[in-house]
Amino acid sequence: MSENQNINYLNHPKGIMSWLLTLDHKRIGLMYLFSGIIFFLIGGLLALGMRLELAAPGNDFVSNDTYNSMYTLHGAIMIFLFIIPAIPGALGNILLPLMVGAKDVAFPRLNLASFYIYSFGALFAIYTIVNGGVDTGWTFYTPYSTQSTSNVVPMTLGIFIIGFSSILTGLNFIATVHKMRVPGLTWYKLPLFVWALYGTSLVQITATPVLAITMVLLILERFLGIGIFDPALGGDPVLYQHFFWFYSHPAVYIMILPAFGIISEIIPVHSRKKVWGYKFIAYSTLSIAFIGFLVWGHHMFTSGQSVFSQIVFSFITYFVGIPTGVKIFSWILTMYKGQVSFTTPMIYALSFLFLFTIGGLTGIFLGAVALDIHLHDTYFVVAHFHYVMQGGTIIAFLAGLHHWWPKSFGKMYNQKIASLCALGVFIGFNGTFFPQFLLGLRGMPRRYATYSDQFSELHTYSTFWSTILGLSIFIAILNLMWSLRKNNKLDPGSNPWGALTMEWTHTSSPPHPHNFESDPVFTNGPYDYDKVIVEPTLKK
Amino acid sequence: MSHNSSSPDFLHHHFHDVDQQYQTSKFGMWAFILTEVLTFGGLFVAYTVYRSWYPEMFYDAHLLLDVNKGMLNTIVLISSSLTMALAIWAIQKKNKKLSLWMLVITWILALGFLGIKYLEYSHKFEVGQLPGIFYSYMGPEVVNIDNPHIFFGIYFIMTGLHGLHVAIGMGLIAWLIYLTKKDKLHSDYYTPMETVGIFWHLVDLIWIYLFPLFYLIG
Amino acid sequence: MSNEHHITPLRTYLIIAGSLLFLTGVTVWVSFIDLGSFNIILAMAVATLKASLVVLFFMHLLWDDKKNLVVFVMSLMFLGIFITFTLLDTGFRGGINPEVKNSINSKASFYDNLPLTDTHGNPVDSHDNHHEDKDDSHH
Repeated sequence: MSENQNINYLNHPKGIMSWLLTLDHKRIGLMYLFSGIIFFLIGGLLALGMRLELAAPGNDFVSNDTYNSMYTLHGAIMIFLFIIPAIPGALGNILLPLMVGAKDVAFPRLNLASFYIYSFGALFAIYTIVNGGVDTGWTFYTPYSTQSTSNVVPMTLGIFIIGFSSILTGLNFIATVHKMRVPGLTWYKLPLFVWALYGTSLVQITATPVLAITMVLLILERFLGIGIFDPALGGDPVLYQHFFWFYSHPAVYIMILPAFGIISEIIPVHSRKKVWGYKFIAYSTLSIAFIGFLVWGHHMFTSGQSVFSQIVFSFITYFVGIPTGVKIFSWILTMYKGQVSFTTPMIYALSFLFLFTIGGLTGIFLGAVALDIHLHDTYFVVAHFHYVMQGGTIIAFLAGLHHWWPKSFGKMYNQKIASLCALGVFIGFNGTFFPQFLLGLRGMPRRYATYSDQFSELHTYSTFWSTILGLSIFIAILNLMWSLRKNNKLDPGSNPWGALTMEWTHTSSPPHPHNFESDPVFTNGPYDYDKVIVEPTLKK
Repeated sequence: MSHNSSSPDFLHHHFHDVDQQYQTSKFGMWAFILTEVLTFGGLFVAYTVYRSWYPEMFYDAHLLLDVNKGMLNTIVLISSSLTMALAIWAIQKKNKKLSLWMLVITWILALGFLGIKYLEYSHKFEVGQLPGIFYSYMGPEVVNIDNPHIFFGIYFIMTGLHGLHVAIGMGLIAWLIYLTKKDKLHSDYYTPMETVGIFWHLVDLIWIYLFPLFYLIG
Repeated sequence: MSNEHHITPLRTYLIIAGSLLFLTGVTVWVSFIDLGSFNIILAMAVATLKASLVVLFFMHLLWDDKKNLVVFVMSLMFLGIFITFTLLDTGFRGGINPEVKNSINSKASFYDNLPLTDTHGNPVDSHDNHHEDKDDSHH
């Protein structure tokens, strides 16, 4: 091997400053990845702390106030510092330009700025943790959030700042998809992950500004008492909920759409089969992104909003189920009669299908006004949310991480450990959260550090399995990191899974600093397994 | 990886050609305009909801605003929009001197806008027509209406955020003046002027709505 | 390269600016005529006409890549969704429980402690007179 072939984005150029000031989307993606994983671990530890407190009735481990801070920080950190930036910021940044055959995203300097804005916002979040936490819940509902003496202002300010990072990333991706595609790569030949990132970015640039202005109004409410959200000053706290959910409902699609994209990539590759219903998947992404803007009121069925709007929001909520169902069926039909191999990414992808379907179906329950009034603010909602966000997004994130790890680093992890962890995540997850559906149906309210004895069996059960879940995720991540050691002999080759998308076929793993050694020429569609024969370079 | 040795110095390495770069920047700016519209949009929603709840209060409270200053500011901002458009027109026509003058006039008009705004604000601070709990004005016009502090809260937030955009726009226009003077911008490459222009017209556009919504409640 | 960009004639810019100033005059003039609820509709119609002129000519959308127009129209569409769906709630409160509607729109309590002022914001002594006026108008 000549020296020239060894040059890749990881070792060229060298030096810490070449990383901190890099305009290379792959390096920025890695910086997002590692900061995201750190916050994932912090959020995860908070979750395990809560489960520990809930292992038995009564305040055995933490006080009520600490518990309030723990669930607020768990929610805010997981959502705003990990899930929302993680997939677009990390995997999206690394893969999007490679997938469309571009040398970089449309605005590389904006991309770096976006990372630093994210870091700056994260400092406020860290300050909040160190300074004693915040106790309003991640939704910051008024009027309590205007009165609470905890760190509402630093945390909301942090979220406000991180919002800009999210907007800039979205803007960058949209411009990249529109303007930077390699000649010949038409819209219907784009990998579905690109479609998913495109839909996500549309939601990001459209909804996030409203979050920004909501946080500004909340902060002004605290400092000036402007009265817009405060009933004592002639305002309306329910209006805050409209503002908040106009962002935060579409935001759950910011979180789940990229996960759909990852699954759409992994299933065809590991089933060696052309994706079924390409256009259905592509358009269902856009329609989910759009319908997601019309349903925010279903979070507010018990808020006192008008009956008329309850009916409208409930009705439209069911329409989200249609494009989502289309996706699930398309994935299943992709696997049908394919050569499914149970690699680590595929095990995660199959868990996703199972868990996300449960999460989605229980969402239909909650969309019905009458049922939601019973289930609102119970563990049923908690379980539904985690089946969608952890069983959906985080498992898809882990799937993507294992799928593209050899792409990003040119190294292979120990697949046996990785697969065992994937099974551990699946079992631990169900053990933790399925009991919570039952708890919710029996009336256990969320956000309490204590509970009456009748719930103790299910809570103990949930806590037990949460340790398995936490441990599996922790070992899975350690296993990935361990693969980066110098003397790792496992060589995945440049295309370990035998994929057909451009990031695998047109460049080495890890890629060249400028992505492609020469201007790439678009050759085959992303899923043409019926036309092109490509052998996986990974030895079995 | 360079395309060919003759590629112009303003072309970034990751674009194929100048046109791709120009169109991409412009498209990015429009996507940014979308986020701006929705940022202000949240405040327009708050305005609409509260005006629908307190129609009489909005009418009575708006009488406390100075229509003449509002109209003068409208004229100032529309003129500055024209001079901004003419600056781009001049540079397209390779007339650097005219373009510079137009930018300078735009900047001065923007300063004028903020000056007039300052006069309005300082009067409101003097008489206590302030947002939220700092509201203290109880003159004869308002003794019979409920909660005028909400009107002034929304007024100050919306015009304040708009004023902030004017100030940011002034910074950007100053940057354009510098670039044009240094011959960094010319008829082959004026993308920054085009995109800042779009931003500046947006500022005008928002004021076009703010003016009737606050000063001209019928 | 720049030859491909559309250059708007100077005359167009001047005509558009003239129309914008004229329409500003119109909207101010109309606002002093009492047309009831038609006032706001007219004011918004004129503002939208002005905004369209700015967007199409000053911001060059008329000749630009149509994608940019789509992005801009999308922003208005989502703003429309936000306003409409919020008004579906705030405009129809109290269908079952009227208290939900009445709990807002009550006067903030800090007004009780504010002294009456003259038009310059200075406190005035005739406190009691004004209070009576106020009470009368409420009943």
